[in-house]
Amino acid sequence: MNYIPHTDAHISKMLTTIDCRTVDDLVPEQVPRAARLNLGEPMSEMDVASYIESLAAKNIQTKCFAGGGSYDHYIPSAISHIVLRGEFLTAYTPYQAEASQGMLQALYEYQSYICLLTGMDVSNASLYDGASALAEAVLLAHSHTKRRGVFVDVGLNPAYLQVLRTYCEGADIFISDTINNDVACIIQQTPAFDGSIRDPTHMAEKAHRNGSLFISCISDPTSLAIMRPPGEAGADIVTGEGQSFGIPKSFGGPCLGFMAVKSTLTKKLPGRIVGATQDESGRRGFVLTLQAREQFIRRERATSNITTNQTLLALSATIYLALLGRTGLRSVAHTSYRRAHRLQQMLHTRGFRIMTPGPFYNEFLVETPRPVTDILEHLRQWDILGGVAVDDHRLLVCCTEKNTIPDVETYARGASMQ
Amino acid sequence: MIAQDHDTPGNLIFDYDQANTGHIQTDEDDIKDQFPKRDYLPLPDVSEMQVIRHYTRLSRKNYGIDTGIYPLGSCTMKYNPRVNEDMARLPGFAGIHPHAPLSHAQGALEVMWDLQEALKEITGMDAFSLQPAAGSQGELLGVMIAKRYFADMGERRTRIIIPDSAHGTNPATAATCRFQTVTVHSDERGNMDLDGFRNAIGDDVAVVMITNPNTLGFYEEHLQEITELSRKHGTLLYCDGANMNAMLGISKPAEQGFDMMHLNLHKTFSTPHGGGGPGGGALGVRSFLEEYLPVPRVVKRDSGPTFDLDYDYDKSIGRIHSFYGNFGIMLRALTYIKSWGSDIVNVSEAALLNANYLLGLIRDIFDVPYDRPCAHEFVVSTRRFGEKSALNMAKRMIDYGFHPPTIYFPLIVKEALMIEPTETESKETLDRLAGVLAAIAREAERDPSMLDGTPHTAATGRLDEVMAARHLDLRWRPPKE
Amino acid sequence: MHAAIYYLDTAPWSNSFLKKIFKFDLLVRRYTKDHEWVDTTDDGIIVGITEFAQDQLGDVVSVELPEVGISYRHNDAIAIIDSVKTSTDVYSPVDGRVTHVNESLLSQPELINKSPYQDGWIVKMMPESPAQLESLLTKDQYDESVGNTEK
Repeated sequence: MNYIPHTDAHISKMLTTIDCRTVDDLVPEQVPRAARLNLGEPMSEMDVASYIESLAAKNIQTKCFAGGGSYDHYIPSAISHIVLRGEFLTAYTPYQAEASQGMLQALYEYQSYICLLTGMDVSNASLYDGASALAEAVLLAHSHTKRRGVFVDVGLNPAYLQVLRTYCEGADIFISDTINNDVACIIQQTPAFDGSIRDPTHMAEKAHRNGSLFISCISDPTSLAIMRPPGEAGADIVTGEGQSFGIPKSFGGPCLGFMAVKSTLTKKLPGRIVGATQDESGRRGFVLTLQAREQFIRRERATSNITTNQTLLALSATIYLALLGRTGLRSVAHTSYRRAHRLQQMLHTRGFRIMTPGPFYNEFLVETPRPVTDILEHLRQWDILGGVAVDDHRLLVCCTEKNTIPDVETYARGASMQ
Repeated sequence: MIAQDHDTPGNLIFDYDQANTGHIQTDEDDIKDQFPKRDYLPLPDVSEMQVIRHYTRLSRKNYGIDTGIYPLGSCTMKYNPRVNEDMARLPGFAGIHPHAPLSHAQGALEVMWDLQEALKEITGMDAFSLQPAAGSQGELLGVMIAKRYFADMGERRTRIIIPDSAHGTNPATAATCRFQTVTVHSDERGNMDLDGFRNAIGDDVAVVMITNPNTLGFYEEHLQEITELSRKHGTLLYCDGANMNAMLGISKPAEQGFDMMHLNLHKTFSTPHGGGGPGGGALGVRSFLEEYLPVPRVVKRDSGPTFDLDYDYDKSIGRIHSFYGNFGIMLRALTYIKSWGSDIVNVSEAALLNANYLLGLIRDIFDVPYDRPCAHEFVVSTRRFGEKSALNMAKRMIDYGFHPPTIYFPLIVKEALMIEPTETESKETLDRLAGVLAAIAREAERDPSMLDGTPHTAATGRLDEVMAARHLDLRWRPPKE
Repeated sequence: MHAAIYYLDTAPWSNSFLKKIFKFDLLVRRYTKDHEWVDTTDDGIIVGITEFAQDQLGDVVSVELPEVGISYRHNDAIAIIDSVKTSTDVYSPVDGRVTHVNESLLSQPELINKSPYQDGWIVKMMPESPAQLESLLTKDQYDESVGNTEK
């Protein structure tokens, strides 16, 4: 396919206008020329589509009982119909507010939704993903407290911990084994990696007594429809992964990092923030605001280096939340919760040891009576992705509203077959 | 009338709360477990039709590439082929869980492998990581790797050299990794000043970060000297690949002397910018840095399933994404690269031609700070029209139905307009854009105050950014709060 | 007790003392090339930004102030002033300790625009060495430097 509109006549006319013989004349002699690239023959749209479809056909899609940071919630049809509108899809960062009111208002609504769900005061307009959102929260805590330590409570998604370690090494921050006076923040994930619901109150108090910030990290944010919002339990920063809100699993990306803070930390927030304002005749409009925090103005003193974020996915999440509303989101949360508890009961009676202590949301960890790989292999024959193998004998199982009761029963039967 | 707006124009989604939306109710109080619960979920219930109308209405207040030319400098707003969207939405890709067994994800891994191979060929780099979710994260990863590399060598290097024309992300990234930024000024041809560079370079410089072509739209002419001096001091050379749209098939950054670089997949390889993301920030390195790349890495095996994820790299920097990066963006970029094949050089050649042609059409209307051919974009100054003229002229363009270029960047040019037409715009469109700029210049000459308060025909008039920053209103609140 | 310490701290700064040592009157406003102004009083110096600087910045939307009691070296960044499109550091004109900050700027950043020399003052400091004040610019020198900047 060729997406260049010029005819040969156009090209020669344009070259004449700029008084040039060939385009190569425009490139200084100091620039070393590349040999012709070896990228294969050009393909027509039909050919490229059939090639990419052939790759898609090599993937095998099954019923999904896996979570661990990516959740198989139902995606309402209406979302892609809006998100694919070219005015949204093909715009960029709304630097020119007057030509970008649609996206700016949608982001203002997104920020509002995140605040309503988390019980926090202020949200940014998205970050890359759950893991880097958490890492950015730690950088914020460091810059706010001037302390260099991070205390991580048990139960954090191991991939998030890895990302955190990488960011910490870069920023000369260390992960602390104790809560001491060099600890900038305490991180607690809820629901935790093993699915258990935590009460953040205790850890939040501990953090504040120590002069540290408390960061609450949310795994599946549909849980916020029934859990007490972390903002009410003393969180200073809430981060998480918003993929559950109408975004395809898509092999792990793009996803949606969210971050919300208490108002005292507003000016330390990384990333874009949209604010409401007025035009000269008093009409409400929306603009990117507090831009002096950002890299393109403050350069080496910026609160973060982030530039492009995940706007289109923030729009997806906004439409998802609008479509579901309080009734729909509670229904998703209740159903996911009930299905997971039903499956957990069934596995328990079939000899799986329950490893998740206390109340859990839609994920739970089990110790398997036989090697995890055997069980996953059995389930595959029933067209089921059985969960996330944590190690040889532990399996993380997840349910959403998409896992029907017959599927749950099939899972239990398949998993207990020898 | 088609454009009739049945809703109150200023409404937020929160203003539509309805009692009955057709949602199926669930039993509310059947959760007996003891954990802190929420009393009330303050989200509005809105019917599907109302949601569709609301966001359709908002979309009509937004300008995209599909609306018209979007000449935002440094952002490469080229046409986004629709087949890419269809490919990314194939259930075989969109429906794959990141923890699916790799035997079920061979197609996805092949996409990543093929893209890595293509990017290696395009840039000359020896290895790629596709994990970074955007250019700025690619850059961050690059500087983290540099930091670890020197730590491994037992060297303590504290400085990073960045030219004054650089994007703000470069110094912000350096600072995030606790490096001190040394700014080198630009010379009279818009290159990094060689004398300034000689003074700045030293054994304590970890990295030199260069955008090539730079943000003034010029290929760096002193790269050979800069490379030699950097090598002498053991300094790594980093290429910010934001402007790769000027180099496809023309020149390879590795052959220019760069040790590492990031690509902005959403810019160069036509994945839609989505109103500000998602993007993709693949990082490429030369072989001596390969072992530091993040895990997991996609590898090709001789036995078993062909493609695998390998976590076993002792020196790896770790990980920077929850999973493997913005897979959906990789898929679109691969579709685009496969469409072009080896002919992709046409993209950069047309990008150069379009930028130089447009510059030729408007160079007499504005001040041209550096008199030389540009690459895929250029910068002019509106200073002859007075203070705030770049802002005023940009806003006026909206009245003419054109998206404005980047303004007030790079910082070293006063009243800067930074214009990147991209290769997908036709000669007729460029002629029209030049005509509009000429018309606005005539208006400004006649009566500069005519441009104050523009645009007049957009969804709103000029918005008060000072008010927005002084009186923060960042969210809707339920009335009872 | 408080008054006694106050006196000991500030005695070398009484204007008469300074006038005796240096041949000029420090009560006259001094400037830096980075567009700060510096007034000397009996309890230290007052620092703000000049009319020229506030005009260049445009509408100030927020100010970050240092903590009282912290000591800074000459040219350290002591405060940050943000306008919509730019962000600038305020540099310490001398070595010294911050004694007061203008907290009204936190809620009314526009004071820097409206009244840069009066209500828009930024910090008060206790300098370490009087000699550093001597090297600050006079009004004429500052005006000349602004002229140069504008070229």
